[in-house]
Amino acid sequence: MSQTETETHAPATTYAPKTHVLKPERSNLGALRPDHSKSVLIDWLTTVDHKKIGIMYGAIALFFLFVGGLEALIIRTQLIVPENDLISAQRYNQLFTMHGTTMIFLAVMPLNSAFFNYLIPLQIGARDVAFPRINALSLWTFVAGALVINFGWLLQALQMMGLFEASGATAGMTDMVPAGGWFGYAPLTSTDYTGVGTDFWIMGLQILGVASLTSSMNFIVTILNMRAPGMKMMRMPVFTWMSLVVAFLIVFAFPAITVALGQLLFDRTFGTNFFNVAGGGQPILWQHLFWIFGHPEVYILVLPAMGIISEVLPAFSKKPLFGYSIVIFSGAVIGFLGFAVWSHHMFTTGLGKVATAAFSLLTMAIAVPTGVKIFNWVGTLWGGRVRFSAPMIFSLGFVWMFMMGGFSGIMHAAAPADAQQQDSYFVIAHFHYVIMGGIFLALVSGIYYWVPKMFGKMWKGNLSTWVAVLVVVGLNVTFFPMHFLGLLGMPRRTHTYLEGFGWESYNLVCTIGSYILAIGILLLLVDLIRCLRSGEPAGDDPWDARTLEWATTSPPQVYNFAKTPIIPARDALWSHKYGPEGQKITYEDDHGHGIHMPSNSWMPLIASVGFIPLGLGMSLMQAGVPYMGYFAIFGLLTVGIGIALWAIEGPGGYHLHPEEDAA
Amino acid sequence: MSEADYNPLPVAPEAHQDSETEKYHTFVNLALALAAITGVELVLVYLPFHDVLIFSLLLALSLFKFVAVIAWFMHLIYDKLILTLVFGTGMAIATGTFVALGFILSRSNVDMDAITQF
Amino acid sequence: MSDTATATHDDGHAGLVIENKKLLMWLFLGSDCMFFGTLISTHLIYRKLYPEAYDPLTVYDLELTSFSTFILLMSSFLMALAVSAMHKGELKSFRRNTIGVIFFGLIFLACQVYEFAHFTNEGLTLSTNTFGSTFYLMTGTHGVHVAIGIFWLLCMYFYSYTGKMDAHESAVDVEVAGLYWHFVDIVWIVIFTAVYLIEYI
Repeated sequence: MSQTETETHAPATTYAPKTHVLKPERSNLGALRPDHSKSVLIDWLTTVDHKKIGIMYGAIALFFLFVGGLEALIIRTQLIVPENDLISAQRYNQLFTMHGTTMIFLAVMPLNSAFFNYLIPLQIGARDVAFPRINALSLWTFVAGALVINFGWLLQALQMMGLFEASGATAGMTDMVPAGGWFGYAPLTSTDYTGVGTDFWIMGLQILGVASLTSSMNFIVTILNMRAPGMKMMRMPVFTWMSLVVAFLIVFAFPAITVALGQLLFDRTFGTNFFNVAGGGQPILWQHLFWIFGHPEVYILVLPAMGIISEVLPAFSKKPLFGYSIVIFSGAVIGFLGFAVWSHHMFTTGLGKVATAAFSLLTMAIAVPTGVKIFNWVGTLWGGRVRFSAPMIFSLGFVWMFMMGGFSGIMHAAAPADAQQQDSYFVIAHFHYVIMGGIFLALVSGIYYWVPKMFGKMWKGNLSTWVAVLVVVGLNVTFFPMHFLGLLGMPRRTHTYLEGFGWESYNLVCTIGSYILAIGILLLLVDLIRCLRSGEPAGDDPWDARTLEWATTSPPQVYNFAKTPIIPARDALWSHKYGPEGQKITYEDDHGHGIHMPSNSWMPLIASVGFIPLGLGMSLMQAGVPYMGYFAIFGLLTVGIGIALWAIEGPGGYHLHPEEDAA
Repeated sequence: MSEADYNPLPVAPEAHQDSETEKYHTFVNLALALAAITGVELVLVYLPFHDVLIFSLLLALSLFKFVAVIAWFMHLIYDKLILTLVFGTGMAIATGTFVALGFILSRSNVDMDAITQF
Repeated sequence: MSDTATATHDDGHAGLVIENKKLLMWLFLGSDCMFFGTLISTHLIYRKLYPEAYDPLTVYDLELTSFSTFILLMSSFLMALAVSAMHKGELKSFRRNTIGVIFFGLIFLACQVYEFAHFTNEGLTLSTNTFGSTFYLMTGTHGVHVAIGIFWLLCMYFYSYTGKMDAHESAVDVEVAGLYWHFVDIVWIVIFTAVYLIEYI
């Protein structure tokens, strides 16, 4: 067995990571591997480092958060008065479609991914994920999907200027941007009713699905196989546990939408009859398949947020998480039950008494583990020495706001009540409370908590309080009146409304609230930029935290841990700092072997780039643009060749010797 | 692995060879069983038995083939339990979801007049 | 593709110590289960909704399909032998068995192509009705999986001549390819029963 040395906890200083000059090495292909010290651009494009990949996910996600937010502001502005004509009905449909799709797939999921990527290896004491190049593939494939799904805006602009018209399968249709809702119900999404926008939506989502699937399989292998010695499953941080559950959810839920989108694609392109009524297709099947994916998807969105809360609340209460095992078990139960409730999105489709009752009961059942978690979070706070730092304020906000969203959710679970609420603003109120009040506040909490670790800079001043106030006030002013709007019968997804229904004042208030919310989020961006540009050095452990990622420098070295840590207990860093002698983190001796680091590679980027012609080609073919089929095939070949070269080039790798560098 | 350690054709130790020979016999037997079962299934559908009986027998035989390939050819029976759990969970969720879906979708929801091409 | 957890971190590991690539492939197969499950269920649901829409017995040739099923099962057997051969480091045996798998796989694909051509001639196309749509998408997707497997095995076969394959380095890679191939086989077992044999009852 290896010798161990006891090392004192690293001193609380930060220093910029050394740039390690890489001796250019050749891959099995005979080509030079990218030298990461030569050019910053090449380093970031070819990186396989989970930290850089996480930062890129985060930055791109924040960009799309603003894009989606802008789409929402236009929607709210359109609705500020009855019979407003700021935008046309078609544009409105496109905006709510893209708002939903962007926020879910291009903002929240990648923000979750940013945290997974950055934190999981650090929290389990690993150097990187199990498959670093697959990790890079996931990132760039996500970028490809984001480009494909938003490409329609360009076409729409051209169409509006009279420079482009669809021909071929979607001749006569003018919607170049997806307009069928983020859930794309058939038969609205057939070529009879929607144009090439739907094709961009289909291909974009398929590509994003590849990114999510590869990423989650990578994380499962990483968490199961690459934990440091002593890091037993029940010693892992809750965030890592929730990430594991989410990764399994993705693995089992995404195939349903992959097939559904494939069937829709075939209907639109090859004239199959999956959802074509005249040929025997049943549009309701689309709803089932979509929600078989869609319901687990919302748990994919929320469980990481719950994981973040479960880290922040203990850290700022100076107490361990109350009921660690039960919180994890509840998370797993929520994930598993999430597969059994999909038809609660379809209570008004005539499922029949038995099915309706069954799904109603199962939906109510899911509230139980969720409630258990909330009680455990409150139990964590109880008796703790609570510090109201920025991360804590947002986490507390989560507990309260998510609970409110949960209440409206339980109201939906009662099928008779849902019969009135379905397709009304009540639903919008519910999911925005859980997404904005819940997930978004948790993500902001995570940003405030972990940015000092990621960039080594501390936040300046108290702008976070303003952010918190504006965001919480803003979201409540925006979304609380929507409960009443829904109960008063205002339907969703309508670009305007008439006077005389009593909806006017509520809509006005909602729109004002949305601007308050927007200012709050803008202030978050300002705060972030101020921190990154001129923040004080943060130190290794500025929050006096509990988990292993805080035992590294800020930002961590490229190799994370100079020596592999040996973990004595749960909340490893806390027990190292304040626990008994036998519970300190010790480090493995590497016998001078050095640290094995994965090499950078072009191949994941090349393979991912191929998805762009594939997606655009398949879609533009539907718009009648010539030779697009060949363009798609070219894209597919690029993906294939990228993967083949990837397999042949071999993993490579180089060694670092931190002790020698330090000398 | 450094180049100096590279050994073109390392031969496995004796014990390893024996277990591989056992596996060989298992594989041959399984292959023969699979072929035989497929033959039985082929004949079964032409026999004048009751529908439900034939259906049940087909289900049982296919289930055996399915599980046998996974357990022996795919080595799952020799591997750690976690792999069986991973695969089994996928199977369970898939089966449960689609059995439920089969019950939910029924003819009573279909407007047969709207279907013009069969 | 490799991981940072092999040579340097073998001892004292808290991990499950199932080879990374193997676990990855099992996860992929778990998700592929859901994938094919959805395709096959769509087919079965539409068969249940409209039993009278189409009588597949007019085009099915059960003898041919049984033959191709048998071929695929035998290819699984040869694949198991190939994996075993690589574990023992017997490269020649590995190559023989792999070529066998490829050969049988190609025969299976040829039977599928023939069947598709025959059905199309009889008037059953992708857009004919729900039967055509679901049948071709489901079996077509399976066929694409087989083709990808054949391509993968071909690459392995040629790679085995470069001298870089041996029991130590490549046993896992071959095992992973084997898992994929066997999975494709068991999906066909389900399709054979649920799509072909069922219709004869």
